[in-house]
Amino acid sequence: MNTRNELLCIWSAVLFVVLFTIGLWPLAHFLPAHAPTASAEDIAALYQARPWQMRLGLFVMMGCSGLVCAFVAAITVAMKRMENGLGVLTLTQLSAGTCGAVFLIVPCLVWTAAAYRPERSPELTLLLNDLGWIMLFMPFTTFVVQNIAIGLAVLGDRNAVPEMPRWVGFLNLWVAVLFIPGGFLTFFKTGPFAWNGVFVYWIPLVVFLGWYMVMFVLLRQGALKAARAA
Amino acid sequence: MPSLLKLRVTWLWLLLIGATIVSWEFGHGLGFGDNYRLSTSAVLIIAFIKARVVILDFMEIRHAPRALRFILEAWTVVVAATLLILYWQSA
Amino acid sequence: MSDDTAHRPPHLPGETGVWVFILGDMLMFAAFFIVFMAYRSEDVALYVNSQHTLNQHFGALNTFLMLTSSWCVAVAVEAGRADHRQRAQAWLVAAMGCALCFVVVKFFEYSEKIAAGFTLTTNDFFMYYFMLTGLHLMHVLLGLGVLCYLWFSLRAAPSAASMRTLESGASFWHMVDILWIVLFALLYLLR
Repeated sequence: MNTRNELLCIWSAVLFVVLFTIGLWPLAHFLPAHAPTASAEDIAALYQARPWQMRLGLFVMMGCSGLVCAFVAAITVAMKRMENGLGVLTLTQLSAGTCGAVFLIVPCLVWTAAAYRPERSPELTLLLNDLGWIMLFMPFTTFVVQNIAIGLAVLGDRNAVPEMPRWVGFLNLWVAVLFIPGGFLTFFKTGPFAWNGVFVYWIPLVVFLGWYMVMFVLLRQGALKAARAA
Repeated sequence: MPSLLKLRVTWLWLLLIGATIVSWEFGHGLGFGDNYRLSTSAVLIIAFIKARVVILDFMEIRHAPRALRFILEAWTVVVAATLLILYWQSA
Repeated sequence: MSDDTAHRPPHLPGETGVWVFILGDMLMFAAFFIVFMAYRSEDVALYVNSQHTLNQHFGALNTFLMLTSSWCVAVAVEAGRADHRQRAQAWLVAAMGCALCFVVVKFFEYSEKIAAGFTLTTNDFFMYYFMLTGLHLMHVLLGLGVLCYLWFSLRAAPSAASMRTLESGASFWHMVDILWIVLFALLYLLR
């Protein structure tokens, strides 16, 4: 067990949250989200306005998303302690969390394709834009499974000194529930369940980043505690 | 059976059923005539009173630490008030 | 079984962590309720007209079922506290029965709506109707699982931990009841 490396992976969380926010918001202007009802011309105009800025923002978002893998590994190591070995919940989390990272990276690449040749037919830009948003918010499934795995592991931790307080288990289960409405964007182009709506965009975004920070604090505490016990 | 009737929760359950019937009637025009704004307000208020009964006596929050009771009472009041305000703005 | 509710010291029902989940869920649904009312304010006629197509009898029946299931759970917890484990299990089964009936009624209600041509995307009211009652239904199904788990956990000898588990599960179920109480008013009874 290498505490320094573990802490390195845990601290990657801060870098990820900061960079992802910078890429999403001031650079790419993806906050708030584009309206699903916007016309092809409007969307094409957005990509043509300042393509270099859009490309940079997406580059940053994509570039920092690999750090999610490091964070997932940190969670994995903590869960190994909870399950006393490479248990099935730990492996579920590792696998689901890794898939989740993919769905942060790929939408950015899709949007990059749109920003790469912004002069192409607006219909094509609209298609790429749609694809990006759908890929970012609809795949709730791996995030839900990841959070349920963490929740169950925390609640099932039978060690004398639990790795994490029990409320974290319930928190992860609640976070899992909050990601589910993201899947419903497929049915709506307006309203709170559209990809720019409160239950699909704002709540999952805030919850994801909030969960990341809470887990950061807890993982750090856990790693330091394990280092002292070793 | 008699032991059930001694339970507070049994009486409260009967009260909740009664409140549901009353509020159903209000929602279907009884008692307020054409004044649908008042009848709907009554329906909303009754709903949150019912919620409060469940919170305090079924969830046993009446005997819970004050902080938790405060949070749940606040939830009831804030949500009810917000819904009533939004309703009256449009009705 | 008398209940001396006057002078008990403060007692947190269930374990602390479960309240993170319960309060979080109540917060989420509060947001749903408020968003519903806000959007309703923009097109009251649509909502009122759509509401008229709802089956009020199914709605009322479901409310009675939810309230009764909550009562059954409350009685079960009292029985558990007095170490009448089998009685507690019986009351849990009664609660589960009510919950199952709720699910069946919902199934008939949804079928009736869909057969009449009203679906998730028919209009805003029906979007909220199906989404909110659907999410609630998911909670009912989850709650059924929890009640089952509680039934099994009552087989073991009682302990402080097992009582906490019973209270935790019961609190979750009562929350599901509370959410339906509000949903019933919002979706079926507003004018």
